[in-house]
Amino acid sequence: MTWHSLFALSTMEHRHLLVAYAAVLIIQGGYAGWTAWNWLRLKDTRH
Amino acid sequence: MEQRNPTLRGVAWLWFGIAIAVLVVGFRQAIFLTPTDAAQGDVGRIFYYHVPIAMWSLLFPYLNFAASLAYLYWRRRDPLKALTADAFALASAEVAVVYASITLITGSIWGRAAWGIWWAWDARLTSMLLLWLLYASYLLLRRFSPTGQSHTLAAVLSVFAAVDVPIVYMSIRWWRTQHPAPVFGGGPNSGMDKSMLPAFFWNLAGWAIWGIFILLFRFALERRRQLADQEAALQAIEASLEIPQ
Repeated sequence: MTWHSLFALSTMEHRHLLVAYAAVLIIQGGYAGWTAWNWLRLKDTRH
Repeated sequence: MEQRNPTLRGVAWLWFGIAIAVLVVGFRQAIFLTPTDAAQGDVGRIFYYHVPIAMWSLLFPYLNFAASLAYLYWRRRDPLKALTADAFALASAEVAVVYASITLITGSIWGRAAWGIWWAWDARLTSMLLLWLLYASYLLLRRFSPTGQSHTLAAVLSVFAAVDVPIVYMSIRWWRTQHPAPVFGGGPNSGMDKSMLPAFFWNLAGWAIWGIFILLFRFALERRRQLADQEAALQAIEASLEIPQ
């Protein structure tokens, strides 16, 4: 499989493959981003 | 007062870098290097994300279970240790929900392509949905319960929720319904082709390293929030003492 065929959205199987991988990366990245944003927003009181 | 630890911060960045590197290798193996499955076609590559994440989604509830038991044990004996256990319980429940959500979503997307349906009330899918609902309830209870006992109630819920984990694991062994048979430990016909192993194990390792990173990061955030709350409470007490009577 190549980058070209990964983004070839003409067949259902390629659409589903791309959406599944994108969903994983968006959910994990979104949760990590939310945690990092709160980490930066919350003042560290230990100094 | 406890000081920031630059060594710990360095280890966290290194761990994050290793997680990303292993996940990149896993992605490359899964998408570009592993041959296309003869029976399923390219949609079968969802397997390399779905199965490792599903496997780890059953570990985090046990961490939540252990932390909840520790919280219940320490809450009267040693409240500071109980706070630490509570922070770990919250972090592990959130990561469990993230991993279980991905398992359900990727499974459903694969099911639509492979079976022609988004969902079936099969034993594995139903018990996994129940697991997700239990840990989502745990988080909602902690977030919205108005009583001062919400953390204790959530810890008790967590102890009961953990009972669903072995049911999810055993469901495809006890009941042979729609979901595919177990890949490992499912009898003489289980296992996978040698060509699939690198992609599977790189992703299994990658999502484990990532899961540990995000769990500890979320735990550190919750500890920071608890310490900020304690500091605010102390300042409020000090301010009230300064008011002339």
